[in-house]
Amino acid sequence: MTQIHPLRLLKIAQFELVRLFLTKRGLLAVAAFSICWLLILRYPIGQAVSLISSPQIADLAQQVFGAIGLSKLLDWPEAELAMYWLIALYSFPSFCLFLCSDQLVGDKQRGTLRFLSLRATRNEMLFGRFLGQVFILAALLLVTLVASVAVMVFRDPALLVSGITRSFILFFYLLIAVLPFIALMTLLNTFARSARLAVVLAVLFFAGGNIVVSILSWQIPMFAMLNNVFPGVQLDQMAGQNAGIFNSIGIALIQTTVMLAIAQRIFARSSL
Amino acid sequence: MSTLIHATGLTKQYGNKLALDQVSFEIQQGAPVALVGPNGAGKTTLFSLLCGYILPTKGTLNIIGNNPGSSELFGKLSALPQDAQLDPRFSIAHQLAFYGQLQGLSNKQSHAEAIRVLELVGLADVAKQRSDDLSHGMRKRVTIGQALIGKPQIVMLDEATAGLDPIHAREVREVVANLSSEATFILSSHDLTELERLCSHVLHLDKGKLTEHPTHSDHNELESGFITLLLSEHYPDVEAKIQALAEVSKVYMSQAKEYVIEYQKTATPFDITILQHCYQQGWRYRQLVNGHTLENQIFKQEQI
Repeated sequence: MTQIHPLRLLKIAQFELVRLFLTKRGLLAVAAFSICWLLILRYPIGQAVSLISSPQIADLAQQVFGAIGLSKLLDWPEAELAMYWLIALYSFPSFCLFLCSDQLVGDKQRGTLRFLSLRATRNEMLFGRFLGQVFILAALLLVTLVASVAVMVFRDPALLVSGITRSFILFFYLLIAVLPFIALMTLLNTFARSARLAVVLAVLFFAGGNIVVSILSWQIPMFAMLNNVFPGVQLDQMAGQNAGIFNSIGIALIQTTVMLAIAQRIFARSSL
Repeated sequence: MSTLIHATGLTKQYGNKLALDQVSFEIQQGAPVALVGPNGAGKTTLFSLLCGYILPTKGTLNIIGNNPGSSELFGKLSALPQDAQLDPRFSIAHQLAFYGQLQGLSNKQSHAEAIRVLELVGLADVAKQRSDDLSHGMRKRVTIGQALIGKPQIVMLDEATAGLDPIHAREVREVVANLSSEATFILSSHDLTELERLCSHVLHLDKGKLTEHPTHSDHNELESGFITLLLSEHYPDVEAKIQALAEVSKVYMSQAKEYVIEYQKTATPFDITILQHCYQQGWRYRQLVNGHTLENQIFKQEQI
């Protein structure tokens, strides 16, 4: 029950890609995502240079970005990527909560997991589905990044090489940033009774959890450490490129590992 | 014959409800085994334990030398779980091929295997359709096909023919009969005639407790025997007229038009005697069963 065979793990992960890109419902989700990103590419990213560099609003941008810790982004010659970074860093994790809401629960309710469990261990199903969502998010990140680089190169072809280098770094950080969000949905999928309930539980976890931690830390400041439980706690620091390696990567990886470990414990003993 | 499944003291409790109570049994490789019992008797719980869908509260279960759910059993044990459905977003062939690939088949082999099992259940022409496009009975047959992928040693079918029309139910029975030399089938059904026809060994569950019945028992060594006679119409004084036969020690009507006769063995075979008696009395008979029907055995058991 606890073994993991790499080939079966990969097959299950691949099947998730097929689910998104080759099924009607998956393609509808991709279409909705694409339309949103076309608008983002056309307006905030397409006009990033004029927004950030225009002399009329440069001072204002400097003050506002400086106040919220984003002044480093203004130094990027690839203004489109700076705008992409800000939008993607906050939108992808939220998008994740919806996109990854049905990793196991739908199949569990329908009984499809029972067919699968005769051919794959529970660990393979759990981690395979998680990995599948990581592949999907990676694919979506890559597509949006390529589109942003294309918009940027269209404005200034000289930025191609530096843009590609920066894109790789952004892709890496963004992928790490979404991991705990995917893992949270994996965890919620092990006990929620529907995908919708998993989303509701995720919202309650963030909203209710933050209120509880705020109250606790107001009484005893040490409880502020509990904020590290919430995926995305480091995003504000990451946005301005002010976070160290541990904050950018370490927290997210630890959160992911802990949530997957709890999910594994629950799923190993749950009834299918 | 080797032991495929060995259960000892298997107990499953859901809160205060005891679904299975100290169930122990062995299933040998060979002819299909029937799992019978009234609704809520624990049949599906036992199936779920065998498949590793749930864990027992107490007891041990060994399947071909492994724990249920072990990866060693992939491809060796397959099942039709009750009410489980395929994903309606994918074509049937795509999903069955995926299951084949998880069992270690190559891409090409898995697609050929998907078509083969769909042919077995008479549904090769709907391979490209999604399960939502099919009727309830067709969906059931597809999920039976799913249980036949590869070369499983044990195939468990929970209520396989429930909801199927008589023609397709018969086809499923034929599939089971044809494949029973390659795999050991464990069947649960409420259709006792079907089980009697297919199985030589019956596990009877009632209120979580298990008893075992042979369906084709050998009574040769005993001095007395049983015959179950089903007449096609109601005739007057049947019991008294049968009781008048010298060999008959007891006769009773088990249900409408059906009589269970206990007789003492003599040199003349009793089945010949009773058929001659029917002819002399002008009774038309529908069926003569050597021994008790499975239904009567179980009904008697549940009344005790």
